[in-house]
Amino acid sequence: MNLRSELQKLLNVCFLFASAYMFWQGLAIATNSASPIVVVLSGSMEPAFQRGDILFLWNRNTLNQVGDVVVYEVEGKQIPIVHRVMRQHNNHADKQFLLTKGDNNAGNDISLYANKKIYLNKSKEIVGTVKGYFPQLGYITIWISENQYAKFALLGILGLSALLGGE
Amino acid sequence: MFSFVQRFQNVSNQAFSLGIVIVVFIMASSYYQLINNKAFSIPSNIDNVKTLINVRTSRYFGSQRGKAKENIKIKFDLNTDLTPLFNWNTKQIFVYLTAEYNSSDKIASEVTFWDKIIEKKENAVINVNDLRSKYSIWDIEDGKFENKDLVFKLHWNIQPWVGLLTYGETIGNYSLTVENKEKV
Repeated sequence: MNLRSELQKLLNVCFLFASAYMFWQGLAIATNSASPIVVVLSGSMEPAFQRGDILFLWNRNTLNQVGDVVVYEVEGKQIPIVHRVMRQHNNHADKQFLLTKGDNNAGNDISLYANKKIYLNKSKEIVGTVKGYFPQLGYITIWISENQYAKFALLGILGLSALLGGE
Repeated sequence: MFSFVQRFQNVSNQAFSLGIVIVVFIMASSYYQLINNKAFSIPSNIDNVKTLINVRTSRYFGSQRGKAKENIKIKFDLNTDLTPLFNWNTKQIFVYLTAEYNSSDKIASEVTFWDKIIEKKENAVINVNDLRSKYSIWDIEDGKFENKDLVFKLHWNIQPWVGLLTYGETIGNYSLTVENKEKV
């Protein structure tokens, strides 16, 4: 056991986490979205998106089209919502108001909006527009975040493999 | 040299690269099929649009601070065949009828009157008469709908099994000026 090689391993672990973080932040800058990849949590867009599907977002457009699927975050609520734009009203420039609805919901989203508003503000509340889709793979993150033992097990395996696995 | 971790890493890297190749192939081939089937120039026939105007006072119909809000509904005929949109990467079609209009000199609007999810190729032919719109539409401004020019369009969105979402519109718009009629 020599101190130098142990420290080297520790450095490797740090490097792993730092590069993952840099990749995520780089993607956020490229797409101009705070969370460029999201996992679907509810069934309100079924059958298009099911729970556990992965969505890839893009937020460099100044205006949205009717029919776009957008992810929005209402102030005061933590959970991002993935729904479809039903109406858009814009001022021919960069100001736009949207009304959204889940494909699988009967009514529109007015009851979900903050402060008795009846529209979303594109520039303030939209996190991104859904461009790409990959099915089911996001179930891993749902499983990890909803099962505390899974979280510990994953961290344990990561730590052990990084420290024990000699090069 | 060949530790368990390294083997695991090699296998997962291989699986990842192969997965990307497969997804790109699926996307390219389905896009080729769309072009081949002339999916971006599907004709549609929107016809016989009748407007119904009424006044609502609920927040869920655009009314704010108790002020009455004019709502518009339509009845319409629609005729189109969306079969070319179906290929091996089509999970569902979301088809929607919108109207574009100017709320005022400064505000341009587009609203959805009707939409439908189609999951099977056999149901891709739409042939309806006198269908009621699904949604009751109010304007963001205080203006009335009377004498507004509405341009109706039928759009579609393909939800893939994997890959990029594809959007398009059919060919065949329908224009209408809302008449000054008694309220229904």
